[in-house]
Amino acid sequence: MPDASTVPSERAIREWLIERVAFYAERAPDTVDPDAQIVELGLDSVYALNLCGDVEDEFGLEVEPTLGWDHPTVNAITAFLLGELGHR
Amino acid sequence: MTHAIAAPADRADRADQTGPAGLEARLGDPLDPANPLGHAAVVAADERGEILAAGEEMLDACGLNAEFVPRSLGGRFERADRLAETVRAVFRRDVTLGLGYGITNFVAAAPVWASGDAGQRAWLARLLLGNRRAAAAYTELRHGNDFTRNELTALPAAPGFVVDGRKELVNNAERADAVVLFARTGDGPGSRSHSHLLVDMTALPAGRRRYLPRFPTAGVRGCLLGGIEFAGCPVPGDALLGERGGAMETVLKAFQVTRAVLPGVVVGALDTQLRTALSFAGRRVLYGGTVADLPNARSALAGAFLDLLVCDALSTVGARALHLCPAETSVLTAAVKYLVPKILREASYDLSVLVGARSYLREGPYAIFEKMMRDLPLVTFAHANAAVCQATIIPQLPRLAARGWPRAEPPPDALFDLGAGLPPLDFGRLAINARGADGLSAMLAVAADDADPRVAASAARLAAELARLRRRCRDLPARDRTVLASRAAFDLCERYIVLLAAAACIGVRRNGTGFRAEPDWLVGALARLEARLGRRERVPADIEARLTAELSARFDDHLTFDLYARRLAG
Repeated sequence: MPDASTVPSERAIREWLIERVAFYAERAPDTVDPDAQIVELGLDSVYALNLCGDVEDEFGLEVEPTLGWDHPTVNAITAFLLGELGHR
Repeated sequence: MTHAIAAPADRADRADQTGPAGLEARLGDPLDPANPLGHAAVVAADERGEILAAGEEMLDACGLNAEFVPRSLGGRFERADRLAETVRAVFRRDVTLGLGYGITNFVAAAPVWASGDAGQRAWLARLLLGNRRAAAAYTELRHGNDFTRNELTALPAAPGFVVDGRKELVNNAERADAVVLFARTGDGPGSRSHSHLLVDMTALPAGRRRYLPRFPTAGVRGCLLGGIEFAGCPVPGDALLGERGGAMETVLKAFQVTRAVLPGVVVGALDTQLRTALSFAGRRVLYGGTVADLPNARSALAGAFLDLLVCDALSTVGARALHLCPAETSVLTAAVKYLVPKILREASYDLSVLVGARSYLREGPYAIFEKMMRDLPLVTFAHANAAVCQATIIPQLPRLAARGWPRAEPPPDALFDLGAGLPPLDFGRLAINARGADGLSAMLAVAADDADPRVAASAARLAAELARLRRRCRDLPARDRTVLASRAAFDLCERYIVLLAAAACIGVRRNGTGFRAEPDWLVGALARLEARLGRRERVPADIEARLTAELSARFDDHLTFDLYARRLAG
């Protein structure tokens, strides 16, 4: 069981997510508004499903493919992941 | 010849008048001009722009709709591959009837079986088993396959919803008592803003809904493609099907089933075209012999036979995978829906060159060929067009390349053994993303060690192609993982789909009996598929000669040209 020290910080999760969204949207990370809908940034329907694979590879956490649908902004996904990582 | 595949299931079907053989017997001799369900009657109904009334009566009498209703709800639907093979008999005769009477009901029902509550499922089952109709109302011509931009709204208003907007190109819109409606129920831009409503059309206030005029079409001219316009139409709250906001997710799961089955049934249209072309080639005398004696014509006929077998193998494996590997079918069923209609259409074109001017005549003994040629293209864009199928796969390519292809275990033998039983199809286990899993493509490496050197050589080249694809897909540029994916990404996707088709053929032959177990068709099928990857190697002459003999024997013996070689009427 991982202890609390292995749980990444909220800031680290958010920055990693911003980097991933910036990668798919092909834009500079500092132009990704963490409160913007990721669908508006170009991660539409089936394409938003990419994020679940990235999350699984990065955090070793199995999440629903619809993660980016149910938590539609970087900040919403960050809050969700923080909760999941804290509970495992 | 080894075409006789006397599987016990075949005998059971003859006793059971509802299986593929029973349906075939009811359809009768296609060439009998007095048969109300024969080719002449089918072509005449198409000329009138009508669905074949005698065909609908026959399907009512044998309760075809039961094929679409799960056994647990009183129907006969247990296996997706059996469903495809059964309904294929109708498509061999008339694509219009197969779609307009049959598959349309299954498309509408799939979201209900997948996400409906017990009451909704029972209601729709009763309706279908009573020979009534269901319509799938998804399309808005302004938005095509871009479902998340759909505009028809269903806004909450006590005691249910108020619906405003229109749906177009809805098969049977005006004569369906049940309509599955894909509606916007939220303002947001994402994939949680749409819900399904299961609407009892007989209970709506007539003044709040209007049926649109029929859309005339080039093919399937008898299909009643219409539309519905709602204006402040109240719909009860219990019409909500599944979770509010859950329609996109349901679509991406439930339509895996229909996207595997629809191409599988349409294989029947090519069967009839090939049979018609063979009849033409055997009678038409040119240069002192029949067309069938000309080497180029024989190659065309053998090529179409191989294409048909490839289509059957891929769609059948796709349908069986729904039962056995539901985590992987988001990719596999999109591959089926992309490649099978494309191959069928190209094979149809190749045969039309052989049949010549008679492929263009709307009367006479070959008019059924012309009708099927007009009907077939519909399948490339109906119920998810080719580009959308590729778009389902493309964003998954990098993860497939990183996780699936390098270390996949081959799938269970039962995936390919057409006679083997299947576990129940559980809609709840279908996943909208394969998470990088793909067992099917591992069959390429398995066959690289095949005892037949021609199979082994071909499989080794295909496995090497998968390794090349892996390198390119692992590092797919970011833009290619989005809706802005380039032509190059679509090309990679197409090559991958061709490899899946090859893997399906390999598996079917390794687990087959009789004709299916022989290497000839597989070597030929792999050559046809490798040609799609750019290899310029013809089907070996000795193999082509034996396939031509098989084809002629099946023609003479009235057996289907698909993997099952079943007895036909007439």
